[in-house]
Amino acid sequence: MKKVSRLNFWLKSAQAGALAIAVCFTLGATEPASRFNTLSHKLMCTCSCAQMLGECNHVGCPNSTEELALLRTGVDSNQSDKQIFDSFVAQYGATVLAAPTKEGFDLVAWIAPFAVFAAALLGTVLLIRHWVSTRPRLEPAAASPEMDALRERIRRETEADGGYPV
Amino acid sequence: MATFGSFALLIALALAAYNLLAGGVALRLLATGQPAPITPERLADTARRAGIACFFAVTAAAFALIYSVFTNDFSITYILEHSNRALPGAYKFSAMWSGQEGSLLLWAWLLATYGFVLRLTHKMDVKLYAYAGTILAAVQVFFLAILNFAAPPFALFRGEIPPDGNGLNPLLQYPEMVIHPPMLYLGYVGFCVPFCFALGALMMRYPGEKWIKITRGWTMVTWLFLTCGIFLGMHWAYAVLGWGGYWGWDPVENASFMPWLTGTAFLHSVMMQEKKGMMKSWNVWLIFATFLLTMLGTLLTRAGLVSSVHAFAQSSIGTWFYVFMLIVLGTCIFTYVLQRSHLKSDAHVESLVSRESSFLFNNLVLLVACFVILWGTLFPILSEYVQGSKVTVSAPFYNAVAIPIGLFLLFLTGVGPLLPWRAASLRAIKRNFIVPVIAFWATAIVVLVAGDRPWHDGAFDSGQFYALVAWSVSAAVFAAILSEFLRGGAVIRKQTGSNLFASMVLLTRRNTRRYGGYLIHIGVVIIVIGLAGAAFNRSQEQELGLHDRLAIGPYTLDCVGFSDDSNSNYDSQFALLDVYKGGKKQFQMSPEKRTYLASQQPQTMVAIHSTLEWDLYVVYEGVNPSNGHPIIKAFLNPLVSWIWAGVLLIIFGTFIALAPPITPTTAALRVPVARTVPAEPAMHGGQP
Amino acid sequence: MSSTWGMIAGLILAIAAFVYTFWPENSFASQRQKTRLDYLLERKEQLYENLRDLNFEYRAGKYPEEDYAAQRAVLESEAAQLLSEIDYLQQA
Repeated sequence: MKKVSRLNFWLKSAQAGALAIAVCFTLGATEPASRFNTLSHKLMCTCSCAQMLGECNHVGCPNSTEELALLRTGVDSNQSDKQIFDSFVAQYGATVLAAPTKEGFDLVAWIAPFAVFAAALLGTVLLIRHWVSTRPRLEPAAASPEMDALRERIRRETEADGGYPV
Repeated sequence: MATFGSFALLIALALAAYNLLAGGVALRLLATGQPAPITPERLADTARRAGIACFFAVTAAAFALIYSVFTNDFSITYILEHSNRALPGAYKFSAMWSGQEGSLLLWAWLLATYGFVLRLTHKMDVKLYAYAGTILAAVQVFFLAILNFAAPPFALFRGEIPPDGNGLNPLLQYPEMVIHPPMLYLGYVGFCVPFCFALGALMMRYPGEKWIKITRGWTMVTWLFLTCGIFLGMHWAYAVLGWGGYWGWDPVENASFMPWLTGTAFLHSVMMQEKKGMMKSWNVWLIFATFLLTMLGTLLTRAGLVSSVHAFAQSSIGTWFYVFMLIVLGTCIFTYVLQRSHLKSDAHVESLVSRESSFLFNNLVLLVACFVILWGTLFPILSEYVQGSKVTVSAPFYNAVAIPIGLFLLFLTGVGPLLPWRAASLRAIKRNFIVPVIAFWATAIVVLVAGDRPWHDGAFDSGQFYALVAWSVSAAVFAAILSEFLRGGAVIRKQTGSNLFASMVLLTRRNTRRYGGYLIHIGVVIIVIGLAGAAFNRSQEQELGLHDRLAIGPYTLDCVGFSDDSNSNYDSQFALLDVYKGGKKQFQMSPEKRTYLASQQPQTMVAIHSTLEWDLYVVYEGVNPSNGHPIIKAFLNPLVSWIWAGVLLIIFGTFIALAPPITPTTAALRVPVARTVPAEPAMHGGQP
Repeated sequence: MSSTWGMIAGLILAIAAFVYTFWPENSFASQRQKTRLDYLLERKEQLYENLRDLNFEYRAGKYPEEDYAAQRAVLESEAAQLLSEIDYLQQA
């Protein structure tokens, strides 16, 4: 009886939690999305400062002004992300994209980390399971007067206050 | 001074070579028991002494370089290229690591210093230290050979000597840059010592696990230096580069992060070896890998392999590093194959749900993180090789891939300590997990109510989603660690009758390593909380004429003046901004832009006002040429100060973990009477 | 500093290093081989640590009774074997 009511309590709390989260997720946000800003953080400044386009701030940067203008045109004329990126690649080469694309060989860049993670995770789980199944069973030593005396000594030296004088 | 410096480097090389040769021969004689005209132990001692003398020789060379910087000896090419007369004193030290040759000398000097300490403390375990010292000498020979033959810091300038030098890179002219590089180098170089111990212990088939205790201490110190170095670098990037962030996933930042990850993995898995005699091969390879990664990091910076703001000029020493790394790897593999029978585990993991397996997973995640970063750093090279064109792998890639892995690691930080050793029964798990789970959900709800919106305007905002997860997991981990302290403290309180806080202090002193480690974990949690704040960064850019205003968050910036200034080292332009909050003037800020005269390079001096809640971060972007008005960019970066606070806690925690604990033996020495009274009959162990 | 003086200073450094390295001294530390007993004592200390840890965590409420008893029994029998070997070696 007690067990059931406790289970109920946890179920109810979980439900309440899930509900609260669902509500929060569906509430509309107020700030307008800044597509320009988002995209400027997916492109690089090509002046060799190795910074994101949206973050390049050095005085008189020869490239970022022009790049930002190109991006502004793209966003204002409602081009898709892909169209904008394509126009950047056409003008500045593939290195203008801050991350590899998800096509062709570039896709490998994205898959490899997760593949390695999954493989390593699986490998570890299998290894542990193998160890668990093959471990030798350690039986407590048979009771004998000497063993009892030794055990007594061990307990005296490690137990009660953990061996620390109080 | 140039002659003396070159001479000192040559002597140092000779001494290191003698150390390696004599040490090697002596150890060989001792191991085989062959008769020899000299006592092998005496020979080994001369080798050790040569190592100590080598430290003084390298110190003399380093002194010669510093002396030449301070006396403006521009006949030395290195000084000419990296310093100038107007450079302030403190930054003259920085000249030592602003270039290839100088930083290699710094590296060699730090290595010699570590070697010096190691060889002085050899009585801890004479044989093991003899092996470690000899291996260290081999690494020293490599660096000193480069300094003597490939990148001589004392090379003389040919032709007429100019009256003044080219000056120091302005990016380095910042107080933290006087400490950050040496700190990072201390961390980098330091990993050489655990490497030498591990390889040495393996070569000599060290009986037992004591070597790993010695190694662990060295690793912890090194790890602390590396941690401080990395975070100083982050703080420097934040305060100087002026883009409002602190970590750009630059190849060189990555290079310092990789050995940190494997080093961290080692510090965890080493506990398994000490406690249970498990994971011996794994630990040895973790140390090997860490050392090789520090070498790879050096290679990345110096061989022009990847493009980076940090990279030194391309040079020929890349080949030296390739060869050296191959030799190191070869030696590691050879020794391992030869001695692997020595590394058989005494025990195995007994359950999938146990402290042991949580350590395994922790190691796994740290290594995967390391792989991801290595992969991202080297992918451009791979891509060029495979498809003939370079690609950029930058922040968006790492954020997408590394953040989930990092969060999983954070989750394990909380779970690990709650799991008992060997095996956990379902009952034990339930009992230990209730509080953290409640903390997780409570925080998630609070964060969502407070306005975190992982889903808004019909789009998924990964930044805010990760922030939500990061904060919730952080709360759970914090609750888990706190409950560890409280539960342990309660047991001690029962024994001693002192108050809970005093009990927790005593608890920490009895097991400095574990509770110091927990403090470090809390530090990490605080850092994660701060990092997650970046999802809510805001910025605003505006041209400000006199008394124009810029509003950001609760602050309003009022421009009360802008002007130019000049001194012998740089010209500067700056703005004076009064900051208002709630209609009242709070403080004044003065962002600045400098142009250094010697190098003609510009430099931002960011104005930062830091609070627990957020940083107001103001950058002088430039000037509108038509009217001379400054363009100001203001950022409001939430929770950044938490990151720096977390680091302080990590440092504190590491010191605690390094402190020797009170053990029953040391405690008995202090209270001799108590020891003679047998502890109470111990059949039942105390109350549950 | 002229190059002659640099040369002289370098020579002094070289001589000093040489003298220090080969200074005839016979009080060098010997490389004692670790005995089986040393090894066993180290192991014993480790097992004791594990036992103390187990006891402490049990009292902190992290183990249910039966888990605790089972694990303690295993560790104790391991320690007992060690102790008897140590006793034997120390008597010998």
